[in-house]
Amino acid sequence: MSSLQYPDDLRYTSDHEWIRDVGDGVVRVGITAYAQDALGDVVYVSLPSVGDQVAAGDSCGEVESTKSVSDIYAPLAGEVTSVNELLDATPELVNTDSYGDGWMYELTLADASVLDNLMDSAAYEAQLD
Amino acid sequence: MSGSATKTSPLHDKHVGLGAKLADFSGWSMPIEYPGGGVVAEHTAVRERVGLFDVSHLGNALVSGPGAKDFLNRCLTNDLERIEPGKAQYTLCCDQDGGVVDDMIAYLRSDDEVFLIPNAANTARVVELLQASDHRPEGVRVENQHHDYAILALQGPLVDQVMEELDLPTGHDYMSFVPAQWQGAEVTVCRTGYTGERGYELVCASDAAPALWDALMTAMGAHEGLACGLGARDTLRTEMGYALHGNELSDEITPVMARTGWAVGWGKEEFWGKEALTAQKEAKESRLAGGLVVTGRGIPRAGCRVVDGAGQEVGVVTSGTFSPTRKQGIALALLDRGTDQGSELTVEVRGREIPVQVSKPPFVEGGAAG
Repeated sequence: MSSLQYPDDLRYTSDHEWIRDVGDGVVRVGITAYAQDALGDVVYVSLPSVGDQVAAGDSCGEVESTKSVSDIYAPLAGEVTSVNELLDATPELVNTDSYGDGWMYELTLADASVLDNLMDSAAYEAQLD
Repeated sequence: MSGSATKTSPLHDKHVGLGAKLADFSGWSMPIEYPGGGVVAEHTAVRERVGLFDVSHLGNALVSGPGAKDFLNRCLTNDLERIEPGKAQYTLCCDQDGGVVDDMIAYLRSDDEVFLIPNAANTARVVELLQASDHRPEGVRVENQHHDYAILALQGPLVDQVMEELDLPTGHDYMSFVPAQWQGAEVTVCRTGYTGERGYELVCASDAAPALWDALMTAMGAHEGLACGLGARDTLRTEMGYALHGNELSDEITPVMARTGWAVGWGKEEFWGKEALTAQKEAKESRLAGGLVVTGRGIPRAGCRVVDGAGQEVGVVTSGTFSPTRKQGIALALLDRGTDQGSELTVEVRGREIPVQVSKPPFVEGGAAG
C-alpha cells in the first residue's frame, strides 16, 4: 500500500483524479494510484468526446475493472480537446502507468485560475487516511 | 473496505500476511485478490496452470442418522439414488413455490450420512428448514458445522502435480471424493470446483488449514501457481456459465428458469417445490437462462435490461463481467423464450447501449471433467 505515489507537480480531487497543468490553459486528467489500486485490473475505459463542454463535477466517462465501475468526473469546467486513444486497446495502462500513458483526457479550461483551488499532493494524501 | 464483515476464515492470517484485498462476502471477510496477481492474472493462472482459493466461507452441514439419505431425498431436488456412496452431487433446496433457497453440493458418505456444502449466506436457513421438516425421522440429526471446517479449492490443468507433491489422492472421478490423511489431519479430497478447470476441493478441520495452505502454496510455486481471490472465482465461473445463488438462482429464479433442471429428480415421489416446478416446466412460459457476448465495447452488469431492435425488453442480465480469456464483455441473462442463438440484441448499461449477441454458455472450454 505504501508504494502508491502522488507526484508533487499534480493537483488532485476528492474523486481520486489527478490534474496536470500542461500550459496554455490546458490540463490533462487521469485517475490516481489510489483509485487504480482500489479498482483492480482496469479492462474498459469510456471517455468523453473531443468538443464536449463540461462543468466541474460532471460525469463524463467511466472506468471499469473486472470487479466494478466508477464514473470519471470533470474536475473543472471547460472543453474536452483531446482524449487518450491508447486506452481503447490497452486500458491496463491506467494500472501500470496511471500518471503517464494511462492519462484519460485533456480539458481546455474555461477559467485557468481555478486550478489553484484544487488540492496539492500533501492535501490529497492527507484526506486519504 | 467494508467494516461489516464479522466472520473470518481459518486462513484469515494467511490472507492478511499476503496483503490480500479483503471484502465482505455474506458477512465473511474474504480475499478478493492478492497483490502481485489481480483478477486477470489469477484467472489466467487457473486456466493455464494452477491456482489456490480459500472458500471457507462456504457452509458445512451434516445430516446423519438412520435414513439420512432418504430424508434428504424427500427435501432436496436432485435424486441421491443416482449416485453411490463416495460421490458428490449438485442439488438445490427449493421452497414450495419452486424458488431456490440455496444450491449446494451433497457428499453421500453412506445411506445414513450426507455432508452438505451450501452457500455462506444460506447455510443457516437450509439447516433450519431441514430441522423443521415433518419428513425428518427422529433419529436423523441436522447439524450446522459452518465454523468447523476450512475448504481449499485447488484448480487448474497442473493441479495433479501439486497434489502429488503432498501425497494427496488424485485421478479419482469427477464429482467423487476420497478421504485422505495429511500430516495427521483428515482431508476430504473431492473432484469438484467452480472454475471449469480440473480441480479438487479439500475439506479439513479449521486448525489443520493453515499448514495445508502453506504446503500447497509452496508446491504450486514450481508451476507458477497463484493464490486466487474470489474476484477471479467469479470471472471463472461466469465464463463457464455456472449459476451463482442470488444472481442466476433465487427465490424468484427457479431451476426451470435457470436451466438447472438436470439437478432435479423429476421422477421422485416428492421434493420441496415439486408441484410448482412441474407446473412451470409444463407451462413453458417463463424466461430462460442464456448467455450474451458483447460485440461492441463495454461490460453488462447484473440488473441491466436486454432489449431487441424495436426497443422491446426481452430479458435482464443476471451476471456480467469482462472475460479475461476472451477479452470481451460476457453476461448471463434471463431471456424470453424464443430468443434465438445468434440474435443481435442490446444491453442498456447506465444509459449506454451495448450491442450483444445471444450465445449459449460456456463462453470458454474448460477441462473440469476431463
